[in-house]
Amino acid sequence: MLSVKNLHASVEGKEILRGIDLEVRAGEVHAIMGPNGSGKSTLASVLAGNPKYTVTEGSVEFLGRDLLGLPVEERACMGLFLGFQYPVEIPGVTMANFMKMAVNEQRRYRGEEPLKAGEFLRLMREKSAVVELDSKLTNRAVNEGFSGGEKKKNEIFQMAMLDPKLAVLDETDSGLDIDALRIVATGVTKLHTDDNATVVITHYQRLLDYIVPDVVHVLYKGRIIYSGDKTLAQKLEREGYDWLINDYRE
Amino acid sequence: MKLLEYIAHGAAGEAEIMVNPSHEVRRVEAGGRLSLVTVHTAAGVSSLEITVGEGAALHLVEFFCGGAVGACRVRQAASSLCDITSVVTGSAEPGYSVGLDGAGAENNLRGAFIAGGAERVRFGLRVSHNVPKCTSNSLVKGVAGGNAVCEFNGLVYVAQDAQQTDARQTSRNIVLGGGARIETKPQLEIYADDVKCSHGATVGQLDDDAILYMRQRGLTEAQARRLQIEGFVRDIVSQAGPLAEALAEELTAKLEKL
Repeated sequence: MLSVKNLHASVEGKEILRGIDLEVRAGEVHAIMGPNGSGKSTLASVLAGNPKYTVTEGSVEFLGRDLLGLPVEERACMGLFLGFQYPVEIPGVTMANFMKMAVNEQRRYRGEEPLKAGEFLRLMREKSAVVELDSKLTNRAVNEGFSGGEKKKNEIFQMAMLDPKLAVLDETDSGLDIDALRIVATGVTKLHTDDNATVVITHYQRLLDYIVPDVVHVLYKGRIIYSGDKTLAQKLEREGYDWLINDYRE
Repeated sequence: MKLLEYIAHGAAGEAEIMVNPSHEVRRVEAGGRLSLVTVHTAAGVSSLEITVGEGAALHLVEFFCGGAVGACRVRQAASSLCDITSVVTGSAEPGYSVGLDGAGAENNLRGAFIAGGAERVRFGLRVSHNVPKCTSNSLVKGVAGGNAVCEFNGLVYVAQDAQQTDARQTSRNIVLGGGARIETKPQLEIYADDVKCSHGATVGQLDDDAILYMRQRGLTEAQARRLQIEGFVRDIVSQAGPLAEALAEELTAKLEKL
């Protein structure tokens, strides 16, 4: 589904990603871990197409197409979803209105008719239940005045609405209390099928108590320096990163 | 025009409607209520003078385009309430002068202007707190595209005796592209010492992070930009009552032409 080869990317002339290789297949859950500043969020931003970052080398193929040549919205319409680490507030734009436009744009891209008002409302109700999102929030402006936990739940709600092929969740667990964490993680697990894939970027092992990854990667200084199964996350939690990164220190 | 169609279908309810008025004087008797809608669509100078009696309420909705120049003077007696909504799409010069002359008077003004091409907007607002214990709250939002030049001149005046004044005035603006300009001058002139006054002005571009966020969900850049500007100005119609939807549609229609 996703094939990243030797990806290099920089921001303001500073190289952050220094040769990422990553293969994600349908039905898989990958976790990307690593210390602060190792490039985890940059990887998510580059995949989504954030223009702040410049790809200097390498390639990314998504569903057989060259992802890096596509505008942000086309990547989204193809089924790439990014759960933002810091969801943006958009004053005056209601969640319901925003989601209606997003869902219908993606449907239009696939050659489908827009949803009728009733169908859309039913979809909203059904999907907000997945993350136990208060249905009143959908009438409020996007993320405006939402608590930290509500913002993150709202990301998973949008993921549920848009039903992406590949979801990249950038530190969706950070800043969550244990209840919100459980709700977010359970939501992600419910949405997982054999046809889609999830890449979870996280700092802590605790999210992986709920979302069981097939592969765990350690990102350090812009490279994936180690990959293993789910037991790797537990080992990292116990022993930290030192045993892995010592070899890479300058 | 959408707004006039809405009005023709009774959207303004009981309100008195004036289209392109010249010089009008109204008085709301003590304890009374007046709901007024004015639509200015033609170049020309008009004036509107309204006295709001003790405990009375004035609900005023004004719409400007087509180079109209309108001076609106409101004098408020004790414990009166006045809500003003002023929407400008295109060249116009609305000017408001509010006098709070009796204790406990309250004035709320919501304004929005959108200009594109070679249009010019001058939005003036003077709120005078002449006596103690009055409240005023003004929020004016502007959007300029093309080569439009817009100006907001705001003044909150608090007289020496007007203690316990609560006055807020905010001017927020978005400039689209390098050719457009918005100049905003919110000013405070305070001669009393026991007051709560705040004023603020911002002139900014669109929020790139918000646009990226919306595009990541599948909206085109043009859709994301429009939605953001729409969201920015649309909350201004919140106190326009039954005409809110019509005014919001006028704003959206104008944005589509920018």
